[in-house]
Amino acid sequence: MFLALREVGRAKARFGLLMAAIALLVFLILTQQALQTGLITSFIGAIQRQSAPVLVYSVDGERTLQGSVITPDLEAGIARLPGVAESGRIGQSTFTVSVNGRSQSDAALIGYEKPSLGAPAPLSAGRLPTAPGEAVGSAGDVSIGDHVRIIGGQPGPELTVVGLARDAQIQVTPTLFVSWSDYVAASRAVNPDAKAILPSVIGVRPTPDLSADALATRINDALPQADSLTKSQAAADTPGVTAVQSSFQVIFLLFALVVPLVTGLFFLIITLQKSRALTLLRAIGAPTGVLVRALLVQVLIILGGGIIIGTLLYAPLSQLKVGSLSLRFDPTAVLTWAALLLVLGVISAFAAVQRVLKIDPVEATTGEGSR
Amino acid sequence: MKLALRELRRRPGRFVVATVILTLIALLLMFLGGLLDGLVASSTGALRAQRGQFIVYSSTSRNALVRSRIEPTTRTQVAGVAGAGNSGGLGSVQLGARIPGHGPRDLVPVVLLGYELAPRGLPQTPPGPGEVFADTTLKAQNVADGTVLELGPARSRVRVVGFVDDSQYLGQSTLWGSLATWQAVLSDNRPGERVADGVVQAIVVRQGAAHTTTATAIDAATGGATTTLTINQAINALPGVAQQQSVFNQIIGVTVVIAIVVVALFFALITIERTALYGVLKALGASSATLFWGVLLQALIVTLIASAIGIVASLILAAVIPPGSIPFIATPVRLATSVAFLVIAAVIGCAFSLRRVLKVDPAAAIGGGQ
Repeated sequence: MFLALREVGRAKARFGLLMAAIALLVFLILTQQALQTGLITSFIGAIQRQSAPVLVYSVDGERTLQGSVITPDLEAGIARLPGVAESGRIGQSTFTVSVNGRSQSDAALIGYEKPSLGAPAPLSAGRLPTAPGEAVGSAGDVSIGDHVRIIGGQPGPELTVVGLARDAQIQVTPTLFVSWSDYVAASRAVNPDAKAILPSVIGVRPTPDLSADALATRINDALPQADSLTKSQAAADTPGVTAVQSSFQVIFLLFALVVPLVTGLFFLIITLQKSRALTLLRAIGAPTGVLVRALLVQVLIILGGGIIIGTLLYAPLSQLKVGSLSLRFDPTAVLTWAALLLVLGVISAFAAVQRVLKIDPVEATTGEGSR
Repeated sequence: MKLALRELRRRPGRFVVATVILTLIALLLMFLGGLLDGLVASSTGALRAQRGQFIVYSSTSRNALVRSRIEPTTRTQVAGVAGAGNSGGLGSVQLGARIPGHGPRDLVPVVLLGYELAPRGLPQTPPGPGEVFADTTLKAQNVADGTVLELGPARSRVRVVGFVDDSQYLGQSTLWGSLATWQAVLSDNRPGERVADGVVQAIVVRQGAAHTTTATAIDAATGGATTTLTINQAINALPGVAQQQSVFNQIIGVTVVIAIVVVALFFALITIERTALYGVLKALGASSATLFWGVLLQALIVTLIASAIGIVASLILAAVIPPGSIPFIATPVRLATSVAFLVIAAVIGCAFSLRRVLKVDPAAAIGGGQ
């Protein structure tokens, strides 16, 4: 133990370089983890936050809110099905807006017909709209009392933010939940040629005797034009989510391989370099266990230090916003990665440990311990 | 130099772990870069394909094609600045396409673009009503010349009359038809987005070069009803493109720094290990420069081997990743850039060993210091 610490203290540059490399890798892994989580939350948060347990898209919508259009026939067909306790229109579109008279920005509007089917829940502040012209906004993007004006060719509705919902963005865009009538008014303001403003999806609640899963299946079986999904399915199956997850998984796998390999290589070379000294220590009575423990203590110090420094670098970054994307410090991710990297790092030191175990004290008398 | 090469040849095992780590880093760099290129290419193809130099959006659209709306009077004003035949309307609509042979729920997301000024690879005159050119990525979905696709909930029928390369838009395959085809399909499938005759979403303007004065003149002529962007500006204005590039480039930058640290670490350790040997070589007359060039040569060879493996792995990845899953492409430029980054990292990493090589005292070889 004493030797291990003394060696680290005397070869600061060598061990410091390895610790820096691990810290950078940990920083990168955690940053990308935060990016992945933030990206997916901002992409589909509104779907997870809205209150309808089942969402019925049109098959043509390819499971995107903005791409789906529910025709009147399909809407009527859904409402008629047994097992549907209530159904309501939900529309989504992106608009150019001005918040409090400031310069133009983007906002996604989610219009719902019934608060029980489409309104955000739970709210982090304020209340749900009770009158036309009121909106719930995604927290962090707007504040209660903000006035949001829809900008289009024609005068659009002016909305007042009366509530906030956390993690409620859609398509990485600041999002406002409004009444169906405000949604229609906003759509007509930007396109006066519109024939009819149709819902993007129909929010559905099953009767008490039916689960959301069973109702989704029933709707799909009955209506070939419908693509009915439970809320969690709708969020997970949104195009792009799987691609984002797969891409990040490949990156994480590569990083997770680099950390133990770098650590393992470093300690193997260090052990080879020290083999003469280690042989001598064995010859004067140092047990193998002491040498192995010293090696493992060094591995843990370097990995622990790297993980702590990497986390400290990540902490301030995790408070930032990348465009409309909010990052967040995720303690679970930090602990999971720390544990994983510590385990992999210790396993990677196996080659060095094996080398120590192979040392024969007799070699000290023959000079073979130098290699 | 010869000694360095001989060591690599005779004791390759010593360099295996460093090669494996650098290979992983090479693969990381190439994968990150390929992912960025794939994301950007699949989002921007339709804009890059334009032969015009400018795109004119309505000023309230925040440069989003789907939100832009240009009235016929504004089109006339733009045409007045651009000159006869140098401006053309553009419209888009995202729909699900039913392809013969696919299941009833197995739709392919496409963007139908109506155009007047032909983009690269398309004939000057847009195809007739109900006819479209398809992006080549749709061939993987069994779309061929003559295939009739049914678009959207209204099942609007369009017939494919040819193909065009590299024209994806916002991650989706595209179909290119006349403005009339676009308007008809839009009106049938998206009643909330239908436009009156003569209304388009944007105007492509063709000029000799992308002078900013043209953009200013167009926006002045329309009285501020438009925002005119160069094609590059329009690409950067696409949702997420600039952010993706910035975030990925930062990650790639940090990965290069890690590569530098790994090379520095590995060759610093190897140099320490060889200190005694270097002492002997110096005592025999070898200069510090010769010894350092040897270390550098080894680092470069290890890096190039790792890069070569990385390139092969990237090409295999690009070939086996199914279309529509991970947007990864391996372009020669990206692969070459990644190799260049790694070579630079190797040289910088090796520089950390230079000090140690210079410090080696030949006297140590004859018992002075060992």
